[in-house]
Amino acid sequence: MQVFNAFFKVLNKNKGQLVLYVVIYLSITLLMGNMAQDNEEQVFSGVSLDIGVENEDQGMLGEALVEYLNGSHNLRGIPDNKEKLQDAMYYGEMDYVLEIPKDFSEKFKNEEREGLLEGTIVPGSNSAYLIENEIEGFLKTAAMYLSAGFGMEEAVSRTAEDMEQEGHVEFLEGDDGNLPAGYYFFQYIPYVFITMMILGVGVVVKTFQNKDLSDRNKCSAMPFLKQNLQILLGCFSYMAAVYVIFMLMIGCCMAGYLFTIQGFLSAVNAFLFAVCALSFSWFTAQLAKNVAILNAISNVFGLGFSFLGGVFVPLEVMGDQAKKMAKYVPSYWYVIANHDIQKVAGLSDAGDVYQSFLMVLVFAFAFLALGLVVNRMKIRGR
Amino acid sequence: MGAVVEIENLVKRYKELIALDHLNLTVEEGEVFGLLGPNGSGKTTAINCILALLYFDKGSVKVFGEEIQPDSYGIKRQIGVVLQNVAVFEELTVQENIDYFCGLYVKDKKLRRQYVEEAMEFTGIEDFRKFYPKKLSGGLLRRLNIACGISHKPRLIIMDEPTVAVDPQSRNRILEGIQELNRKGATIIYTSHYMEEVEQICSQIAILDKGRCIASGTGEELKAMIKIGEKIHIEAAKLQPFQLEEIKELRHVYQVEYREGMLEIRCDGGKHNLVHILDYFGKREIGFGRVYSELPTLNDVFLEITGKELRDSAEGAM
Repeated sequence: MQVFNAFFKVLNKNKGQLVLYVVIYLSITLLMGNMAQDNEEQVFSGVSLDIGVENEDQGMLGEALVEYLNGSHNLRGIPDNKEKLQDAMYYGEMDYVLEIPKDFSEKFKNEEREGLLEGTIVPGSNSAYLIENEIEGFLKTAAMYLSAGFGMEEAVSRTAEDMEQEGHVEFLEGDDGNLPAGYYFFQYIPYVFITMMILGVGVVVKTFQNKDLSDRNKCSAMPFLKQNLQILLGCFSYMAAVYVIFMLMIGCCMAGYLFTIQGFLSAVNAFLFAVCALSFSWFTAQLAKNVAILNAISNVFGLGFSFLGGVFVPLEVMGDQAKKMAKYVPSYWYVIANHDIQKVAGLSDAGDVYQSFLMVLVFAFAFLALGLVVNRMKIRGR
Repeated sequence: MGAVVEIENLVKRYKELIALDHLNLTVEEGEVFGLLGPNGSGKTTAINCILALLYFDKGSVKVFGEEIQPDSYGIKRQIGVVLQNVAVFEELTVQENIDYFCGLYVKDKKLRRQYVEEAMEFTGIEDFRKFYPKKLSGGLLRRLNIACGISHKPRLIIMDEPTVAVDPQSRNRILEGIQELNRKGATIIYTSHYMEEVEQICSQIAILDKGRCIASGTGEELKAMIKIGEKIHIEAAKLQPFQLEEIKELRHVYQVEYREGMLEIRCDGGKHNLVHILDYFGKREIGFGRVYSELPTLNDVFLEITGKELRDSAEGAM
């Protein structure tokens, strides 16, 4: 196993760079994982505040306003003296105090609206402004109906109806708010796998393909096929080692996730992408003239595939044109699979995921075939 | 003793360029066979054909009596190779490099360890065993290259310009080493464009030019092929044309050149040529300074056969 051993000795000389990428990956995933857990509740809901209300109005508008506020906030009575009211507001028991005067409906109808309502707010409170906005919205709607010629009863009824309409809030990333942290551990794998494969396998293969060394090896008594098989074995061993290290890291940080159906499929997804990255690194090693160019390729393609494939930038925020292009990079299918895996209930339910797996494998074979063609052309050129 | 390498009518073309033009060579066992020629004469191409690194267009190459093919691993096991460019792993130490290349031939670990030690000792690099190639001087690097090529104790060693860009001390060490390997029984094919080296160590020499073998034999045989037997240089001021004509009329003198106060006289053999010429200078009372005599070199052989200098006809290696 001379060639196999030499493969790892050469690889060992580049370990500094490889370790650096493991650290980068861990930093990104731990950071994103923590951020995801901090923001676990991303489902939209309106804020419910405590409002003290005293309604002395005898008309319909005051009652409708109270009813409207009661729909989304907690209403309570106002303490009977000013000192208690101040204490309640100071200790945060109330966010806002609304006093509706006796002839509120009448004056509103007569358009005597200046300073009509009296509200007390906690200084500097954002919540109070929210309530005042809501009250203002309600009254402006009522005013619009009144000025349009509707009677008070009709105007109040229509206003209440309008105010019941709620805006629809949709998160661009769908249900990402509920994604487990394990998802993020797998999300960034394409970048680090591509980079580590090119810098590992690519650099070593390039060393063995150096013309002088290659000629010297061909002069030897060891069959050329055997030499190549040992290099191939070295490539797969390295890929397997990188994969196992990453699975162990994920297992240590997210053992619970790894032993779920999602974890299993994510691990398979990562393995297939590792094969694809290995194949890609071999292809780039055939193209690059030297190790410096290979380093540049690793940066360009590592980042390029990651950005275009939706590893760093969510696919949802990418333009249609970019998405179309993204389909031509393997990381896109990896990301799609990683996303779809989160919705899977069982292995029989993962048709879309398997389709993405297949696409990643197709890319792996395509890179391998291209690499073989380039290699053959080089040999024929001699 | 039989033929170790037999090359017959070997033709190798690179598109329009003919690198080897019906080359014929035979290397007998126990020889140090020198392939001499300027850059671009086809030495490296010939070596690459012997090693089955190149496909050739016509002819045959036999090594140890068998046609060499890329998969002739039994034959390759008996060949040691020191290629023109240093071929070692930058990422492996001196010892690891030798062990790697030795391991391509010798499976037994214990035997290999012994061979590696012997190769390091032989090339004098045992003190640098833990060094990486980048830390070695040009001479040491060449010696490492040789150690990698000979560590498995081959019967035939092919060395393609192993002393290029090497300091005189390392060069002497390498040349002595080659002679030592030959004494131990190895047949050696040695290419170079340094004629002094070839003259010093080779028992048989073939001179290549434009892919053809233009002359072959021992050093003495090659020199005997040419007219020149001795070159005499005399530092003399103000020689008249008639005097040059008179010198040319002297016995055995066939060419006289006088340039910038230096007279070069070529003689075609004979004895006591210098005495006769100095006698003429005395009779004519011509003053002279430095005087020296040279025997013909392989460069003279090359010059006389091809009409050009061996050293100056470099046009890039093939």
